[in-house]
Amino acid sequence: MLDILIAILIAGFTTGALYALATVGLSLVWGSMGMLNMAHAAMLTLGGYSAYTFSTTLGLPVFVGFTGAIVVGAIAGGLLYILIVRNLLKNDKATFESNVMIATVGVGIALENTILLAYGGQPLKQPISATGSLVLGPVSLPYQNMLIVFVVIVLMAVIALLLGRTRMGRAIRATAQNRDAAQLMGVAVNRVYFQVLVLSGAIAGVCGLMVSSMTQLSPPLGNDPMLKAFIMCVVAGLGNLPGAVAAAFGLALLEAFVQYVAGARWGFPTLLFVVIAVLIWRPAGFFGRLQIRRM
Amino acid sequence: MSNAAKPPLLRLANVVSGYSELKVLKGISFDVAAGDFITVVGPNGHGKSTLLKTISGLVPLTSGAISINGGPTLAKPHAIAALGIAHVPQGDMLFPEMSVLENLLMGAYLAPSKAEIDRRLDEVYALLPKLSDRRNQIASSLSGGERRMVGIGRGLMMGGQILLIDEPSLGLAPLIIEQIYGVIAELSKSGRTILLVEENPARVADLANHLHLLDDGAIVWSGPPAELLARDELLTTYLGG
Repeated sequence: MLDILIAILIAGFTTGALYALATVGLSLVWGSMGMLNMAHAAMLTLGGYSAYTFSTTLGLPVFVGFTGAIVVGAIAGGLLYILIVRNLLKNDKATFESNVMIATVGVGIALENTILLAYGGQPLKQPISATGSLVLGPVSLPYQNMLIVFVVIVLMAVIALLLGRTRMGRAIRATAQNRDAAQLMGVAVNRVYFQVLVLSGAIAGVCGLMVSSMTQLSPPLGNDPMLKAFIMCVVAGLGNLPGAVAAAFGLALLEAFVQYVAGARWGFPTLLFVVIAVLIWRPAGFFGRLQIRRM
Repeated sequence: MSNAAKPPLLRLANVVSGYSELKVLKGISFDVAAGDFITVVGPNGHGKSTLLKTISGLVPLTSGAISINGGPTLAKPHAIAALGIAHVPQGDMLFPEMSVLENLLMGAYLAPSKAEIDRRLDEVYALLPKLSDRRNQIASSLSGGERRMVGIGRGLMMGGQILLIDEPSLGLAPLIIEQIYGVIAELSKSGRTILLVEENPARVADLANHLHLLDDGAIVWSGPPAELLARDELLTTYLGG
């Protein structure tokens, strides 16, 4: 019984770590910019393929592949701001949220199809992964799962330090909490938006690498994590980072438990049931607060 | 008020601004010199807050010019803040999920060094000791008066040349209003340049050295506060007695 419980916990924590990473990138952008980045899935995929290209195609060391996924993701986020978001922000602020959502749907489709053209539709194996397991009596801990949880914990700590302790992080949080007041303090909000999208892109890059190391590389790789990330964001309350991480781990553990007890096909419907229930009984999410907007 | 040799700290020349098609300010002109305490009074909804928001760049200028230290008109609020305009907005506009200290540190976002930030923080704590006691408290959990104090403290942390204060008494109990105006009086005594908007001219009678009466987006009278308070016909016509 204990080994089953540990197996559920390992599966739950690993997928929870991946969901948390996907959710943080999405939530950060929503919280500070009011932007639902529908291209986030494609940015995840791009990260996975970038690591593959650096490690397999170019034959560079694993560390370069890992760093490459971060850098390419960050560049994609930066370009998304420069080419699309910056221009949409110049227009009517009231229509920004809907315009940017539609625009990023287009960016996501274009990016996914570009990856399909470049690499083909056949699944590829992500070379950056760890094999083997640590066996402790009846319990077997796969190194890959341990690596993912470790990397995510380190990244979360770095993100928390960045947002909590640095001048840049304070500017991001200030912009998220009151954009006009942040501007009055001298914060250049356009620069903050650029930084947020670069940071979110970098997180998406690593997340794509991690997800592909657990499964396989394919052009729609990022779609499932992004869908789950949306669920986590809604359950936590859009834009609430600590809440999003808590929701990611909580729901991943629930999913792993349901999959074990009722079968794999019931995992996702359970998450959907939870999100519908939250939308009915707590529309602002567990950790969110209702906002009243003057129309 | 204006100095012939040196440009004024702030000059508004025929300023017109508003929201989309709605014109709120209809040609405002006045100067603010170093050390001045200027107050703009007027009834609610006649453009007082819009005036300060236009100076700090939150509301775009439709026409006219706003010059700081004789420089060109700027559009971006962050660039205007960098020139020394410290705006304490109406309703405080604090960062609700940050602590009092973090709110104050955001005021010093453009400060050149850590030593300068510490110096300003000491100055603010000396003037507003309650903020030191509350430094780790989350802003959204403060009372209305404490929030107003944080707003003023954050404005002071900017170390600006001109402090724009928007209706500091709004929504506060009489005792708290007295405390807030006590702090503003201290600031004025220390030589700070202040541009304050207020509905009730009696509150600034002993503080302001010059007063502008704003009605429907235009200045209809200017002069010393005592003179306005002595003119019943102006008070009755524009401020409802």
